[in-house]
Amino acid sequence: MKFRYAMVCSSNQNRSMESHYLLKKQGFDVSSYGTGTHVKLPGPSLREPNVYEFGTPYKHMFDDLRRKDPDLYKRNGILPMLKRNLSVKLAPQRWQDNAADGYFDIVFTFEEKVFDMVLEDLHNRDQVLLKSVLVINLEVKDNHEEAAVGARLALDLCEQIEAVESWEDSIDDIMISFENKHRRKLMYSISFY
Amino acid sequence: MNVADSRDQALSLLTAALNHADLAVKLSSLKQAKDILSSLDSSSAAVLFPYVADLQRSPHTLVRKFLLEIIEDIGLRAIEHSAVLVPVLVAFLRDVDSDVVKQSIVTGTHFFCCVLEEMTVQFQQHGKVDQWVQELWMWMVGFKEDVFSIALQPGPIGIKLLALKFLETYVLLFTPDNVYHEKFEATRGSRRTFNISWLSGGHPMLDPVALTSDANRTLCVLLDMLQSASSLPGAVTITIVNCLAAIARKRPLHYGTVLSALLDFNPNFELARECHKASIHYSLRTAFLGFLRCTYPAIVESRERLLRALRAMNAGDAADQVIRQVEKMIKNSERERASREIQSVRDDQASSQAYVLGDVSKKRSMPQDNEELTNSFEMASKRIRSGPNSHSTPPTHINDSGQDFSSVNGASHNFPLSDDNLTPVEQMIAMIGALLAEGERGAESLEILISKIHPDLLADIVITNMRHLPKSPPLSKFGTLPTTQQAVNVNSRAQVVPPPAPTNSLHSPVSTPQLPVTSAATTGSSISDTSTVNNFAADSKRDPRRDPRRLDPRRPAVSVGMSSTPVLEDTGTAMSEFDGSISNKPLSVPVVEDPSVRSMPNIQSNDKIIEGPSITGVEQPTAEGDVVGGQEDIAPIVEINSSSSHSVSPYMIDVDSAELKADAEVKHETDEPLFPESDQEFPGSITESSLDETGRDLPVLPIYVELTEEQKRSVRKSAVQQIAESYLHLYWSDCNETRMALLARLVGQIDADDDIIVMLGKQIVVDYRQQKGHEIVLQVLYHLYSLTVTISVDNSSYSAVLYEKFLLEVSKSLLDTLPASDKSFSRLLGEVPFLPDSALKLLDDLCSSDVFDVTGKEIRDAERVTQGLGVVWSLILGRPNNRQACLGIALKCAVHSQDDIRGKAIRLVANKLYQLNYISGEIEQFATNMLLSAVDQRAAGAEFMQAGSIDERVETEVGSGDASTSGSQLPEPRDSGVDSNNTESASNSASVVSFPEAQRLISLFFALCTKKPSLLQLLFDIYGRAPKIVKQAFHRHIPIVIRALGQSYSQLLRIISDPPQGSENLLTLVLQILTQETTPPPDLVATVKHLYETKLKDATILIPMLSSLSKNEVLPIFPRLVDLPLEKFQLALAHILQGSAHTGPALTPAEVLVAIHDIVPEKGGPPLKKITDACSACFEQRTVFTQQVLAKALNQLVDQVPLPLLFMRTVIQAIDAFPTLVDFVMEILSKLVSKQIWRMPKLWVGFLKCVVQTQPHSFPVLLQLPPPQLESTLNKYGTLRSSLASYASQPNIKGSPPRSTLAILGLANDSHMQPQQQQQQQPHMSNLHSSDTSSVRGATPT
Repeated sequence: MKFRYAMVCSSNQNRSMESHYLLKKQGFDVSSYGTGTHVKLPGPSLREPNVYEFGTPYKHMFDDLRRKDPDLYKRNGILPMLKRNLSVKLAPQRWQDNAADGYFDIVFTFEEKVFDMVLEDLHNRDQVLLKSVLVINLEVKDNHEEAAVGARLALDLCEQIEAVESWEDSIDDIMISFENKHRRKLMYSISFY
Repeated sequence: MNVADSRDQALSLLTAALNHADLAVKLSSLKQAKDILSSLDSSSAAVLFPYVADLQRSPHTLVRKFLLEIIEDIGLRAIEHSAVLVPVLVAFLRDVDSDVVKQSIVTGTHFFCCVLEEMTVQFQQHGKVDQWVQELWMWMVGFKEDVFSIALQPGPIGIKLLALKFLETYVLLFTPDNVYHEKFEATRGSRRTFNISWLSGGHPMLDPVALTSDANRTLCVLLDMLQSASSLPGAVTITIVNCLAAIARKRPLHYGTVLSALLDFNPNFELARECHKASIHYSLRTAFLGFLRCTYPAIVESRERLLRALRAMNAGDAADQVIRQVEKMIKNSERERASREIQSVRDDQASSQAYVLGDVSKKRSMPQDNEELTNSFEMASKRIRSGPNSHSTPPTHINDSGQDFSSVNGASHNFPLSDDNLTPVEQMIAMIGALLAEGERGAESLEILISKIHPDLLADIVITNMRHLPKSPPLSKFGTLPTTQQAVNVNSRAQVVPPPAPTNSLHSPVSTPQLPVTSAATTGSSISDTSTVNNFAADSKRDPRRDPRRLDPRRPAVSVGMSSTPVLEDTGTAMSEFDGSISNKPLSVPVVEDPSVRSMPNIQSNDKIIEGPSITGVEQPTAEGDVVGGQEDIAPIVEINSSSSHSVSPYMIDVDSAELKADAEVKHETDEPLFPESDQEFPGSITESSLDETGRDLPVLPIYVELTEEQKRSVRKSAVQQIAESYLHLYWSDCNETRMALLARLVGQIDADDDIIVMLGKQIVVDYRQQKGHEIVLQVLYHLYSLTVTISVDNSSYSAVLYEKFLLEVSKSLLDTLPASDKSFSRLLGEVPFLPDSALKLLDDLCSSDVFDVTGKEIRDAERVTQGLGVVWSLILGRPNNRQACLGIALKCAVHSQDDIRGKAIRLVANKLYQLNYISGEIEQFATNMLLSAVDQRAAGAEFMQAGSIDERVETEVGSGDASTSGSQLPEPRDSGVDSNNTESASNSASVVSFPEAQRLISLFFALCTKKPSLLQLLFDIYGRAPKIVKQAFHRHIPIVIRALGQSYSQLLRIISDPPQGSENLLTLVLQILTQETTPPPDLVATVKHLYETKLKDATILIPMLSSLSKNEVLPIFPRLVDLPLEKFQLALAHILQGSAHTGPALTPAEVLVAIHDIVPEKGGPPLKKITDACSACFEQRTVFTQQVLAKALNQLVDQVPLPLLFMRTVIQAIDAFPTLVDFVMEILSKLVSKQIWRMPKLWVGFLKCVVQTQPHSFPVLLQLPPPQLESTLNKYGTLRSSLASYASQPNIKGSPPRSTLAILGLANDSHMQPQQQQQQQPHMSNLHSSDTSSVRGATPT
């Protein structure tokens, strides 16, 4: 595994954590982040989401929601998800605040908006390291099933990228063949650290 | 461990790293060596550098890569000793391993910046650069060349990407960012703070000119690569796009170039190799979105284009979101700024002046503030574009704006004589001469600058040229005038130094005598006049358009100063004029003629140009500084300053003035190549093609023709005419803004009475949307308007006429050609600088007046009315100065006689306008007046007065004061409606309002009531005195209001609790509506009950509440209800029986009947007739008052003591209605017999009637009667006797009745008496009988 990976979605709960979990299990050097301003989890209704700050431990959220309405959050899969998450890392992390985590070689985003934000954020950093970073967007709906599918696809893609000698030379081919194989749209861009 | 030991150890480690066979050992040795080297001081470590460098021979990739890291780590710390290491970097660029190459680029980039910085610092501090740095720099230059070639040549893409990044870095380093310098210092790492703007020139290696043009070339390399993207891998294309975007965002100077390149870039090419197109597309999208996030004006100005591009790639939503974010940000910063300004004004101004000055200061100081705020928004694009230039202008320039600013802030300044400034035009003129003298280098700069010119100034210069052409015929006076000398001078220069191809065309206009150079030099005062005016126009065009509301208050203040300018002839007057004034300060500058006053280097150079021989000295540096916007001006400045004998002003650099200058340069250069025809068309009015030729065959000067005023006019006219005629053939949409600005100025010069303007207006509208019609029209209008307010009185009147004419024409054409749904008309009126009366009149007509088509037939398009009202609305929101007039139109429509217009207008007024607190009072007043006029029968006359007053108000608001005679007589609109005048006029006119008329007048008020329930009070107050028709209209409207109020009727409750005299009917109606189909809420019930108990004894008002009342509550008032007119009682009955969902009916039907019977007529209650009517009303409802109900009621009643008066009547009615009740009735009758009914005379009669009516069923009852009563009965009803006798004689019956009874029937002894008696009785009885039954039947028609 020659690269460092980052998985990014908006709340660092579902999609990014699913793939973080999977890639970690496969032995990849991987981190995960969210680009939102807060961590939002579904609440009793659409208008009352549970909102937490980034950095709030998954365990805390787990306890909080279990206290509030164990049935509901068990039923909608939030509690199992949080349980999974707390086995992966301590707390959700915000992409925009991850400068201290060093550079990544490959960044996966799972939503166009997140992709935009990551690119804009990278642009705004001091690009002094001159370390190129490949940012790939793989559109994944924010539900448990899709997240699971998305994570497997991301893993597949990572393995392909690892397999080639230099991703710069083959990224176009990888993208095109992946799209053809999985019928999923991909997007990539290149930025620098 | 001492230094020597460490050194030895490091040396052995390095040797091991090179020679040891095991890679792991090598690496660990290296690592240790690195640690030791890091710990040593730089000079000790430097001794080992050759050994370090030696490692490059290592065959192991990892070792070489690690070597690079060591070099970066220790080399950068000991840069002065790294001469040995740097060659390694360059060598590694050709390494076989791409990782090594990559690392080499990275490390090399860091070295590059470091060396550059070191060199600059040395030069700045000591005036020279050490040899070792120069050597390093030579290596770095070599490194740069190598990296460039990597970028361009095929090879591993990963390396290429880094090379591209280096290109980006290179462009950023050597493109000035001075305006934004602070920002970058704040945000970037320490390594790359270097910027070309640090360099002041003077060192051959640090020549800003060369470096900048190198950076420009590099940018061109990137752009070229983009062009050839079809042959590049996707990753490279994307990186190029990203790099270009980064450059554009960080260096506004290049924004325009990059933007157009990206916009033109079409990734849908046929690819030579397969690449991921979607990602390339997306990289463009990301770049554009990134641009939108930037708030510096050049980008803000291109927003439309960006949005268009983004929408085209389906990213409209994302774009809108970004814009919203950015605008929020801007708003915040603006708010901060505004508060700061207000503060400063407050601090500095005398209170009496505070208001005016505040306004002015806002205008003047805003741009300057913006310069400080790097992310400012309102700055004109030219400011930004030339921002980088400004840095390089001599500090002396600043006096102007510095002065300006401070005077604005109140402390009144005397005008420093020395700080006259050049107008942009003049500066450009000076610059172009200098640039041309530069030869090839100048040409290069010109080329770059051409793409960055602002159209407004460009147009100004063209016009300026036209204006001054005839005054200095060049050929005839050759050699005598400074003008000609200059022209020749420049010309000869141009010939001596053959410029490259693009420059050729640039030169051509310069050599012609009609050059701005000439005019500027010779006719300073008039030029300055024009250019400032134009300049002002350019300014005014932007600011106010952004926010039209600010326009008008500011405009007059400025115009005072402006208009005085042309009159000024010498400095003396100028000074005196300007002393007290604030806004005109910058204007005075160019007017100053006396050369001795000029301390500005710019003017100096200008002077020298005129003098001829000394040109070279000054021109050279100036021109040099001009390359690429003059970033390298610093060096020339020094020279200029030294040549100037005047003291340099102490003011700090101010961007405003500097930028004007820079602007001027830029404009001037560009305008000639783009518009040679406009230059030359004027004198000869030659056609374009011939002009082009002239342009090409430059050396021949066109013959100068002196034109008379008349000719000039006709030439101008024909110019505009040609444009107008060929309008459709021009592709405005892709022409640049310069053309528009030019057209605006041309139009500004034609005569007011010409119809060309009309034609032009029509032409523009023909293809309004495609052809950028709106932008063109606005350009023209703003220019005309600026003329109106700036030029002296007589001129302004004609431009005002022109303005009005053009605006009207375009407006009308828009209305005629575009569908009503089109927003162009609205947008036009919303954005023009000023709305004349006629435009408002047009709007008024659109909304309300009858429109006639060509054949004179009346046409009314409902959509047009909607359109008109929509415009009115937006104008009320957007143009405070026209607010009154527009409100007048809206209100007039709100009482329009046509329902559809009125309805639309009322919706607008009530739903939208009434919410605006600044006009709600007025609307309310108007509606009240209308209402009162209807109620008080002031009818038509009064209403017209109102309408008239609105019209007049419109005039007084908008008009220039001529209309004030009529205006002064206006009835004060805020006067409460009923004044004697109105009433009088009403009595004269027809006094009775028709129903439609009443509706017309009151609808608006009712509509307002739904928005503001407190207005309802007035309705109740005046209801009593309203005529019947009006009341009907009230009744028609009130349900809508009440329903609209819904639950929020607390106001209504207050009114209900204390209704004004005469409003009872209305109140009842309201209560009915309130309770319709719903249970009345408790508070309403309580209020009404309270009202009934205290003030209003009319039970009618209780009716709607009855369903919610309990039995105990209903029973006491029941007599009152019975006492009501029959229909009301029926209604009440319905309510009582209906009950509420919760409690069920207050009374059951049986209880109702009982209650009716319980009423005793004598006790001041309702008369007997009412009670019987009430009973009948019950019987009418056979489905409610069924057989069972009746039986139940009668059963209860029969037990009452005393029996109710109407009991027998009810019994008879019951049997009439339900004959099947007969058995039940017989039981009742026998009960009555047992109660000795004959003792109750009134009931006894009824009893007998009933008995007779129900025979033969009643025979058993008859037989129960005691004999005397039977006797009298039979005497009364003779017919009974025989049938009763025959009944009684039946064997089964005969035994039961007492003998005495039988005796009466004659069954006991002789039966012969019976027929006789019968005959005696019959006539009487039959009479009675028939009449009784009929009466009963009459009452019960069932």
